Amino acid sequence: MNLEKTFEELKNKREGAHMPHVYLGDPHKEFSLKLIQTLVENGADILEFGIPFSDPTADGPTFQAVCERALENGVTPSKCIQGIKNLRDRGVENPIVVTTYYNIPYVMGVGTFMNRIREVGAQAVIIPNVPVEEADVLLAEGKRSSIHVIFQIAPTTTEDRLKKITDFASGFLYVINVEGVTGARESLDDSTLKLVQRVRRHTDMPLMAGFGISNKKQASNVVAAGADGAIAGSCYAKVYEKNLENPEETLPQIAQLVGQIKQGCIEGYRRR
Amino acid sequence: MKKKGKFGDFGGQYVNEVLMPILIELEAAFEKHYPTAEFQAKLNGLLRDYAGRPTSLYYARNFSELVGSKVYLKREDLVCGGSHKLNNTLGQALLTKEMGKTRLITETAAGQHGLATAMAGNVCQLETEVFMGVKDIKRQASNVKRIKLLGAKVTPVDIGMGVLKDAVSDTLRKWTTCSMTTHYLMGSTVGPHPFPEIVATFQSVIGKEIKKQILEKEGRLPDTIVACGSGGSNALGAFRPFIKEKDVRLIFVEGGGESLESDNNAAAFQIGKPGILHGALMQVLQDENGQIKPSRTRAAGLNYPGRGPEISFLGNSGRVKTGYAFDSQVFEAVKIMSKAEGLIPALETAHAIAYMVNHKEEFDKNELVVLNFSGRGDKDLETIMRYFHES
Repeated sequence: MNLEKTFEELKNKREGAHMPHVYLGDPHKEFSLKLIQTLVENGADILEFGIPFSDPTADGPTFQAVCERALENGVTPSKCIQGIKNLRDRGVENPIVVTTYYNIPYVMGVGTFMNRIREVGAQAVIIPNVPVEEADVLLAEGKRSSIHVIFQIAPTTTEDRLKKITDFASGFLYVINVEGVTGARESLDDSTLKLVQRVRRHTDMPLMAGFGISNKKQASNVVAAGADGAIAGSCYAKVYEKNLENPEETLPQIAQLVGQIKQGCIEGYRRR
Repeated sequence: MKKKGKFGDFGGQYVNEVLMPILIELEAAFEKHYPTAEFQAKLNGLLRDYAGRPTSLYYARNFSELVGSKVYLKREDLVCGGSHKLNNTLGQALLTKEMGKTRLITETAAGQHGLATAMAGNVCQLETEVFMGVKDIKRQASNVKRIKLLGAKVTPVDIGMGVLKDAVSDTLRKWTTCSMTTHYLMGSTVGPHPFPEIVATFQSVIGKEIKKQILEKEGRLPDTIVACGSGGSNALGAFRPFIKEKDVRLIFVEGGGESLESDNNAAAFQIGKPGILHGALMQVLQDENGQIKPSRTRAAGLNYPGRGPEISFLGNSGRVKTGYAFDSQVFEAVKIMSKAEGLIPALETAHAIAYMVNHKEEFDKNELVVLNFSGRGDKDLETIMRYFHES
């Protein structure tokens, strides 16, 4: 299924979308695939599929450790791309958004990278260290391969930039809730909700709110504030990292958590 | 037309959206304040009265004899704090005041930049926090003590290998949480635009003085300038006013570590390739998939996998000749310079010295050479003594 259809269907059902973020290969590829299957069977609508990078400067301590372990365990960009194919072969139909840092596609060749992820069934990319000013190549190759380039909006983004970004964006916009890096937090400020509302005044494009979302209430709040969905990532890694020897044992707990966060996305939509 | 912040393809602003508005604000502030007479007067006053500039250009007669050419040392070791780093930190601290921010964060490896930031922070009454890899905290203990005595907070970084690369990553992360009130005082000509430009501008006081002093002493420009580096701040500081002087040879010496075999050095020009790290496209050590590799050298200040955008461009275009020195040659060079001139160089600086000692054939008898003596070796005394004691 493509992104547009997913958002449209959820709107008709009056639900916010939930997009969990998983880096492939921690602690090994097979677990990641099972984790993703658990997430999509229990509430995920869209999948943010991370290709680990050695220096993930937009990620907090949880995902730094995840990337470090995955790379130590020998994951490569090619194995990750193969992982997307494995998911499709196992019947996962949800839209897949590939996240990585720019050096990975840069070294592979941005065009080659885009083609390869398209071929295995991905719909979009998020490259957090490419702001709109540096995105010429990414946008051109994205267009050629029919891959959406997702841009981020932050609390520091000025109105000028907001306009510039919305002009180039496609797929959806990634709204960064807080000044900072990825990672589960206890509560979200009012400023977060204000930001979602501020962005909404500029565009009808779907807005996915991320950074610092780790429970049902937070998901519900950002969707109630006008976001079309909530992104959560570190909170899932925090569950399985406690049992890296037998991470499969944590899957029931993760199934429950993703169900709750999805429930938050539904309730938030209906509180609008 | 040349795009702002680009040196050929190198450079740029590869940062997440949170930081973009802050970088735009910083660029505007630099362009607004730096050229004003008021800012120049403040900066030049501090450089003169606090830092001790101009630093001397010393004719090193004994060392010249040893290497068989005429060598002048640009004495950046005489800058207060013991290295060239203060040239940049005073400038950026003044700029921070102008922007109305109240705090400085930075990272340091050899400790020289951390120390210089803490000094400038105190002069300008700005709170200072220094991120430092746990491994570097151990090997640069004397500078850590100095930084703490000055009242700055030292935050240990234990991710990755606990060295400079990891400290830069963590400082960038920290900055994304507090950029409204806090300036990241970048210590080298690295990172996203406008940092490489700002740092090179503040450091180019070195080259400007060299030009004036060598004309006074010799009546002509030097044939060659030699400097060590990784990000490139002392080298670009010395080179910049000479880049357009095509007859002046510029030599940049990076950390050869133990050997040029992979993972044993910091020689990005020798075995790295272009890639994106810490906000810019630069020459960087990486594997075939684009994962950044850790660098390794006994000189903490050269232990970074990337070369800054401008030096990456100058090295790749051939304007700057790139070379390297191995750790063993570097320790020997410390001994040679100490005996010849009574000056103990920093391990970083000793790379430039080692290059001259080991490549005598590249320098003619009457060649006029300026070697940028970027820092003094007090901070490395224990490492140096241990090396000679053990070997």
